[in-house]
Amino acid sequence: MEITLAVIKPHVLRNTYAFQQVKQLIKQNFNVLQAKEVRITKELSEQFYAEHQGKFFYHRLTSFMNSGPCYALILQSEACIQKWRSLMGPTKVFRAVYSEPQCIRALYGLSDTRNACHGSDSEASALREIAILFPEFQVKSTAKTQVKQ
Amino acid sequence: MLKTVRNVAAIPQLTRQYTAKAKRSVLLQDTKKIKDYEPKLSKKAGHRVYVWGFQETGALGLQTDVKKAKERYTEMVHHPTRLQFSDNTDISDVATGYGFTAYAVQRSDGETLFGCGLNTDSQLGFQVKGNPKDPANLDVIIYPTAIRLPRENGETDDDMQVLSMSAGRAHLVVVTRNGTVFTLGNNSYGQCGRSIIDEERYSGSALVHRISQADICGEDDEIVSVECGQDHTMFLTKLGRVYTCGWGADGQTGQGNYHTAGKITRIAGDIEKERIVHLACASDCVLALNEGGDVFGWGNSEYGQLDDSENAQTQINTPRALTLTKGIGKIKSVAAGGSFCMALNTEGLVYTWGYGILGFGPFVEQTSKPQHLLPPLFGRNDFSNATTVVSIGCGVFHMGAVNSDGDLFMWGKNRFGHLGLGHKKDQFFPFKTAINGKAIKVSYGVDHTVALCRPYI
Repeated sequence: MEITLAVIKPHVLRNTYAFQQVKQLIKQNFNVLQAKEVRITKELSEQFYAEHQGKFFYHRLTSFMNSGPCYALILQSEACIQKWRSLMGPTKVFRAVYSEPQCIRALYGLSDTRNACHGSDSEASALREIAILFPEFQVKSTAKTQVKQ
Repeated sequence: MLKTVRNVAAIPQLTRQYTAKAKRSVLLQDTKKIKDYEPKLSKKAGHRVYVWGFQETGALGLQTDVKKAKERYTEMVHHPTRLQFSDNTDISDVATGYGFTAYAVQRSDGETLFGCGLNTDSQLGFQVKGNPKDPANLDVIIYPTAIRLPRENGETDDDMQVLSMSAGRAHLVVVTRNGTVFTLGNNSYGQCGRSIIDEERYSGSALVHRISQADICGEDDEIVSVECGQDHTMFLTKLGRVYTCGWGADGQTGQGNYHTAGKITRIAGDIEKERIVHLACASDCVLALNEGGDVFGWGNSEYGQLDDSENAQTQINTPRALTLTKGIGKIKSVAAGGSFCMALNTEGLVYTWGYGILGFGPFVEQTSKPQHLLPPLFGRNDFSNATTVVSIGCGVFHMGAVNSDGDLFMWGKNRFGHLGLGHKKDQFFPFKTAINGKAIKVSYGVDHTVALCRPYI
């Protein structure tokens, strides 16, 4: 089964109710392989957001991610990359509140940067991002245990 | 059986004919039996507070019992609801942040500041439950609780009265009457006006940072008001100068860079020689007004709020005089939301521009050209043709205006019912909220709204 990385951003962690709701939604839809609180420091986000380097919002994004602890989860389900992205909704919160008012970002996002959560956009980037935030996680071994089960 | 008989008997009574004499006796009332009704008048000076919007954060302060609250639907309050706390406490000012509310109060016991809602970053101070020996920090405070401002020797209750206050995403800034600035809550961008400590724990923190106004603006000037964006803070002084600190990634601190700043610094640009009288910011886009009625702006402009020229910058880090508000008259008040801006001119016309529900009809639009909403939308009609809008304001997603009759009109995204119109749907043009009082100040939060009102009589 496909795996993906989900990151819940700092401002949602501070809103206990929103955090509970998002976690509950994840539980209902995915099999959570691993979850932990992480601090995405400048050094980590340089790797994590390498593809955004040079874009106008890069500094805004990295300083925001470093403003508090994030919550990272490895999710597993059928077609979970796409599933998680559709639960999150469009990146831009100010547009999401009108186009998809029930998505996570429309409900708990505050601005286009404070957009509540992150999800990998492809299988390759999921593996790359999981390796950055969960260096101890062995993708192959879990796949094997899944097969055994 | 009996029922049908009764019904049959009742019908002829309705059509019964009376003689002229009988009519007189029917109409003649026994006036002795009419009781003199004296309406209960509210306290003349007493303010009342109405709250509505998202309730799960505790920001509305309407609940008194967590257990009882779990038994019924409490997620949001669609109708403006009178805050019980305001009936026994004289509230003089309100401020709303993301999921929390602060109240400036005048009380005989000397407390001057109360708050309720999310306290995960200690934005409402260090709150302990019950037994002081076992301080269990409360993440959510459901009913307004006193916030202790640490006093230095000799400071009286009067000195600690709140002059101005404002709340951001997770911080609260209060200026007291004797010119002391208190900052509480999250400082991860320096928005509390102190240096940033890496990996500082804000939850359960008893730290209330104290700054003397002389340290910010010198001895010969004084702070008159404070305005918080989501993650930055701006101070306005009597001489019309602006001092800022906090997150500057969109240029919202106006300091000429995109850094985070824990040091409070005076900003210049086009406002350097201007006397600024009003600052407005709900998110990351800032508007400022000088005494001549000209508008200045800085910060986020991704939706063309500040500049609509070709190749316009989307992040403006230095205050600049706006060209797009030229030609709409002398401006009296401004407000800046997440993706839109508002201005009120001296004729009482409300102008809106940017992206979102701007109030012109059933669509979401984007425009950089300020357009005004028609006065009849704000209560002007043949019987009250002098009614005009006197104040405007907005949150990150919604807008509001108060007219000279004290009526509040709201429109925009109806996030968790925070328009107070009794439903969950978005409102595409200004609509009057049902508040039982004249609104004198409205504070627009991210997902709740608080109105400070005066009774009608």
